[in-house]
Amino acid sequence: MAGQQEQEPEVSAAEAQPEASGPSGHGGGGTRRTFLQGLAGGVAGGVVAGGAGGYAYRASQPAPASVEANQASLAGRLPAVRFHGPYQAGILPKPQHHAAVVSFDVTAEDRGDLTALFQTITDRARFLTAGGTPPPVGIGGPPSDSGVLGPEVVPDGLTVTVGVGSTLFDDRYGLADRTPAHLTTMHSFPNDDLDSAQCGGDLVIQFSAGNEDAVLHALRDVARHTRGGMQPNWRIHGFSSPARPSGTVPRNLMGFMDGISNPDVTDAKEMNNLVWVQPGAAGEPSWTARGSYFVVRLIRMLVEFWDRVDLLEQENMFGRRRATGYPLDATGIFTPPDFSNDPTGETIPLTSHIRLANPRTPQTASSRILRRAYNYDRGIDDVGDLDMGLIFTCFQQDIRRQFEAVQTRLINEPLVDYISPFGGGYFLALPGVTGPSDYLGRAMLA
Amino acid sequence: MVAALAAAAAAAAAAVTLAACGGGNKPEAITMTSDGCGGAWHLDRPGWHTFQIRNGNDVGGEVDLINPANGAIYAEIGGFGPLTTTPMSLNVGSGKYAFRCLFQDTEPMTGPTVTVSGHANGQPAILPVTYNDLVDPAKAYQNYVGAGLTKLLADVSTLDSDVGAGNLAQARSDWLPAHLQYETLGAAYDAFGKFDDEIDGRADSLGVANPQWTGFYRLEYGLWHGQSAADLKPVASKLKSDVSALLASWPHQEIELVDVGLRTHEILENALQFQLSGHDDYGSGTTLATTVANIQGTRELLSVLRPLLVPRYTALPAVYTWLDRLQSALDEERLPNGQWVPVSQLPGAARQQIDADCDQALTELAPIASITEPRNT
Repeated sequence: MAGQQEQEPEVSAAEAQPEASGPSGHGGGGTRRTFLQGLAGGVAGGVVAGGAGGYAYRASQPAPASVEANQASLAGRLPAVRFHGPYQAGILPKPQHHAAVVSFDVTAEDRGDLTALFQTITDRARFLTAGGTPPPVGIGGPPSDSGVLGPEVVPDGLTVTVGVGSTLFDDRYGLADRTPAHLTTMHSFPNDDLDSAQCGGDLVIQFSAGNEDAVLHALRDVARHTRGGMQPNWRIHGFSSPARPSGTVPRNLMGFMDGISNPDVTDAKEMNNLVWVQPGAAGEPSWTARGSYFVVRLIRMLVEFWDRVDLLEQENMFGRRRATGYPLDATGIFTPPDFSNDPTGETIPLTSHIRLANPRTPQTASSRILRRAYNYDRGIDDVGDLDMGLIFTCFQQDIRRQFEAVQTRLINEPLVDYISPFGGGYFLALPGVTGPSDYLGRAMLA
Repeated sequence: MVAALAAAAAAAAAAVTLAACGGGNKPEAITMTSDGCGGAWHLDRPGWHTFQIRNGNDVGGEVDLINPANGAIYAEIGGFGPLTTTPMSLNVGSGKYAFRCLFQDTEPMTGPTVTVSGHANGQPAILPVTYNDLVDPAKAYQNYVGAGLTKLLADVSTLDSDVGAGNLAQARSDWLPAHLQYETLGAAYDAFGKFDDEIDGRADSLGVANPQWTGFYRLEYGLWHGQSAADLKPVASKLKSDVSALLASWPHQEIELVDVGLRTHEILENALQFQLSGHDDYGSGTTLATTVANIQGTRELLSVLRPLLVPRYTALPAVYTWLDRLQSALDEERLPNGQWVPVSQLPGAARQQIDADCDQALTELAPIASITEPRNT
């Protein structure tokens, strides 16, 4: 095994589900749900879609993008990622350059309102990921779009990934008997320092795109169309660094490559074993099939402290070389460490991160997770240290069997002195939207 | 020179055929001149279209695309500079269209009526609101404010007497109704001029110790921070005299017509920014009550504008739905003894509900400013 390269296949969002581009737009989007059909701004002729209790969202009809505009506006931007599919499009692709993870609490009045909320989120995500021209409103109101991306909304590889938290299944909407089997509030592990204001939420939405403006544009658009239905709870923005040197793996803010070893997203069997909730899974309500449990952990890195630690100690904590990403026992990034050949941890310490996280034994194979981490950076703390760290996210079939098993093995790893988990949550990323008449959460609400 | 250029441009624009649907070739510009508002033009079929409109005049103005039958506006280009070209995008439905030109120092002109064939629905047109249309609503609002100021003077006189008599407990209880009375007059603050700062100014740029800080919030700060009757006597007295002066001047003040529509969302924009955030809580913890008063002011504006809004804004019922929701969410935070829960003590879910309701009410209110902006026709 030693020295053999075992490249883990990764696919970009565009490669994962490339949207067929046609003359009608970036991605042939623009089909709208009939009951949300309306015209600019709800002015004379517009339609008010009302759920129970007068809860109303107004949707507008975007113009299809022209071919000319399509090609011109893609300059420097990523193409559209297909929104429709059995799975949500933002789960398998490797991290994009920019992402925001936003938690919301639902304020919808009742089940009808909640349905309207999911329909509206779906409708906006469908438009934003495909791109197109926002509708002009004449003299009927303020512009229908923030204009942040210019007159035409470019997709820029945008994916919008929506998950539900356990609190959505309380007594408000009559969903208690549909709670996903493995969905709980996030556990507090030893060494965590969780701030309740930055934990949990009824919903989570992750926006990922090629540029920060596309992320912010999408967030503002979704928030604007759902003002009465949900309130943002906490949010965090992150980025995935370019691989340096190129051809390697993006680094975290401790300087180490992050997420080298991941399941093979091109292997459907592996995804069915590790990532997707399977139809008929024991204890799972049937609507959860093709969803994926989505764990978000906001982890502060004490980078000043870290920078005062000598290199060998740093490398022993991770079990990899900082410069190259190689396991300490190998000369290739993707060469798996051979722990069986090092039972006492002479080379790779028994307490190192990679060894505890993935011992690479038959017994631990089913605990593997699909890691999707972003770096975050947001200001300074009370003692003048930089507040930066990791938005750790991962997808899996069963949080207890996977994330919690991994995290339990990591309790008291030496790295804990240099990190401080402070927020996040457990969610179930919903099954995909299969077509123009489907919407996120349809089976859950049916 | 300009006339010659304009005539040539008019001739060039006389038979412009526009490719429908925006795809393919860039359409030729339609030029507006002092002799003709666009000349003849043609659209093959309905659908999304971007017109390139050129102002061929050496003066600025406005160009609207209208329904020639009733003057309702599909799209407008305002602040249209001389000799500039700008796009006008819309979803054109089947029906009759014409451009209307309003250039400085020139009689309004309407270009030829163009029929777009087929049976497609396009973007709706909205009847413009004129300055004249807004005179009666503004007058009605002016009267509402006048009556409100009369009541306000009585309220602040009571407050002044309480403080003058050294009865600060009574002053604390009389402060709220007086302040709320002022907060129901939300659309008029610009017309109040400097009085608004004197009567309801924040300490923000001055600091709480600055003697230039006066008015309701200054008094609130003192009443809820243990200041003495002697300290507060001049504050209460000045509040009364400022309100008195404002009332005396009111018949001579005018509410700008454009403000009547603008304020329909601006009052609650301010409530969200300063009241629901708790920013303007100087000790009494009553910013939710202030928001309720602001809703009342907003409702008054909607009431005077209602005849203009009903035929123009189909989502108007949603405005009331969300104002009602916001108000009932706020009313739940009024305790049986008449006290209000301070924003800072609201349970998280209650606060999210109030903020969500206010956000959605604002979203529904926002189009009214555009719809009721006074336009020349």
